[in-house]
Amino acid sequence: MSQSLRPYLQCVRSSLTAALSLSNFASQASERHNVPEIEAQSSPEVLLNPLTVSRNENEKVFIEPSINSVRISIKIKQADEIEHILVHKFTRFLTQRAESFFILRRKPIKGYDISFLITNFHTEEMLKHKLVDFIIQFMEEVDKEISEMKLFLNARARFVAESFLTPFD
Amino acid sequence: MPAPEVHHLFHYPIADHSFSADRQTLAVARESNVDIYQRAGGKFQLKDELKGHDKTVTSVDIAPNSGKIVTCSQDRNAYVWEPSPEGGWKPTLVLLRINRAATFVRWAPSETKFAVGSGARLIPVCYFEEEDNWWVSKHLKKPIRSTITCVSWHPNSVLLAAGSTDGHARVFSSFVKGVDARPEPSAWGERLPFNTVCGEFLNKTAGWVHSVAFSPSGNALAFAAHDSSLTVVYPSAPEQPPRAVVSISMQLLPFMSIVWTKEDEIVAAGYDCEAYRLQGDESGWQLAGSLESKGRPGVQDHREESALNMFRQMDLKGKASADDTKLKTVHQNTINTVRSYEENGGTVSKISTSGVDGRVVVWTL
Amino acid sequence: MATLNWRTINIDALDPDSPANFDLSTLTPDVASASTADVQSLAGQIRQLLRAGDNEGALQGALENPPYGADERGKDIHLATVIEILQSIRQSEMSPILSRIYSAPGGTEALDVLMKYIYKGMAQSNTANTAKTMTPQATGFSQIHARGGGEGGGQAMSVLLSWHEKLVEIAGPGCIVRVMTDRRTV
Repeated sequence: MSQSLRPYLQCVRSSLTAALSLSNFASQASERHNVPEIEAQSSPEVLLNPLTVSRNENEKVFIEPSINSVRISIKIKQADEIEHILVHKFTRFLTQRAESFFILRRKPIKGYDISFLITNFHTEEMLKHKLVDFIIQFMEEVDKEISEMKLFLNARARFVAESFLTPFD
Repeated sequence: MPAPEVHHLFHYPIADHSFSADRQTLAVARESNVDIYQRAGGKFQLKDELKGHDKTVTSVDIAPNSGKIVTCSQDRNAYVWEPSPEGGWKPTLVLLRINRAATFVRWAPSETKFAVGSGARLIPVCYFEEEDNWWVSKHLKKPIRSTITCVSWHPNSVLLAAGSTDGHARVFSSFVKGVDARPEPSAWGERLPFNTVCGEFLNKTAGWVHSVAFSPSGNALAFAAHDSSLTVVYPSAPEQPPRAVVSISMQLLPFMSIVWTKEDEIVAAGYDCEAYRLQGDESGWQLAGSLESKGRPGVQDHREESALNMFRQMDLKGKASADDTKLKTVHQNTINTVRSYEENGGTVSKISTSGVDGRVVVWTL
Repeated sequence: MATLNWRTINIDALDPDSPANFDLSTLTPDVASASTADVQSLAGQIRQLLRAGDNEGALQGALENPPYGADERGKDIHLATVIEILQSIRQSEMSPILSRIYSAPGGTEALDVLMKYIYKGMAQSNTANTAKTMTPQATGFSQIHARGGGEGGGQAMSVLLSWHEKLVEIAGPGCIVRVMTDRRTV
């Protein structure tokens, strides 16, 4: 693990813990509705200032809190084109199955690779600190996953190249 | 300090709870119903369900003397429930005349009125009209700019404090002719026609106000907001700036609910899943500690961790211990409501808390 | 008029009583406006303290007078000043300085301001440097990670991250909550 990963995750953890202070809040804009305010954006006073946590310009987390929901968007490290393609494929795979992930948003917000939407119903049903743990675990696993896939891809490329170059030995 | 009395009722969030005056009956708001529990020995047993609302019930209050229960819900309605002669409860719909969710309801100490907070940016103050046999309401409107999250009554049943998501805590007069006796003049105001604004307070950090409460004497007002602050206002004289406004910013997560236990002590609880005691007066307030006793058995028996595992956890997830599914606090999720459970001579000796984890806990102070 | 698409009109925005038109300035009643020149002269004074080696005094001075009422440019100047101070303080000195500020009168407020600058700092350098991210590599199959060079701003971020960690230890999560709720932005 790299040196600065721990403070980065620590910072995400404490920011999320603070942001996930949610309560049940019925919409002021439409009658008999209860919608995630961060998505509806219909009452400015129930939205809070967004927070950005970044490790460097390629890895950052954007947290948009509101009274009954929090939107968390993650930019996953992409150092080169392969990683860019892998991240794209990987997040696409996940978002297409968003229904079984409960807190996953179907579409990431602009500039980020994957977004989560946590509402007060999630924090009521699940333990809040475990939700935070899940996001943190996701962040470190996805990095590992991408670098493993890249290694595998490179190894395969090397193998293919070798077998093409050595038929006449 | 004896151990807290924990009642784990179910696995749904409890929006609000209320005990009857004899503390034998407990009403809890559970989804779109209100459950009535009866004490049987050391436990509470489900006795009745009040069905009528069709959206989440947000608040419930039992009047201590008459035993009437008032409930309100996000379906914009409020009901007053009275025990019917043939057993069970008879609901009466209240004419709130609001078009958004009702968020909070409390009986006035006189029990002739109650106030309902709403998302329609107004507060219906409801009273019983004998002629029509109907609960009708008058609206407190100005200068509310956002959803009312909480209300609290002054002991004189005329002054009403309300907290709102526009960051303001306000004190209104809810004087209704023919229902209320003319109140004694106090530091909050002398002549009090309906909808007089006796005070309007905003924190610099402007969080949504989650809870307001008058002190037992009614001569101070405390409110807790989403900026993790607790503010206590001491009024000086009508139409004058307050004598002192003490605001403390906490290191903790925000408080959801507060209750005065004496003139110089407040118990507050919220997103930290833990109840805290705060003490002070006009010169300043400070945190005096948690109600949780740290030495409770079963708290310290941490599982032995290997050093490798510990460092791996610290490295990978940025946290110290590995196994933490269960919180160390009695409540396992946000505490929504703190109420006085037992008081004698103006001092609260026991409080009850309820939270999102479906627990109702009685604490001895 | 015929081309106007009636379905896309946001009628809430046209109704002055609608919740969508909540006036956020009612949440920040007492913010005095500050001119860019004021901010600049303050920055000059703080730099002087910094040059004299008084890091703590410089930090305290910068946190006591955040230019809430300044325009974007003024705010950016002050942000640069705060970041410069933060970078000049060694890691071992962070916690003692923070606890001294915390125990001073008005300390919680100063630390709230510091937290705002830390988050702003992390949000800032991203937007400034996005132009040079993702330089496509010719082969695509390069074995050499573009680490170091490619992960620009990593050094500055790690300073802010360690400040953040130390600050949360002292001021608690309440400090982060106040960064979110406070409408007086830096």
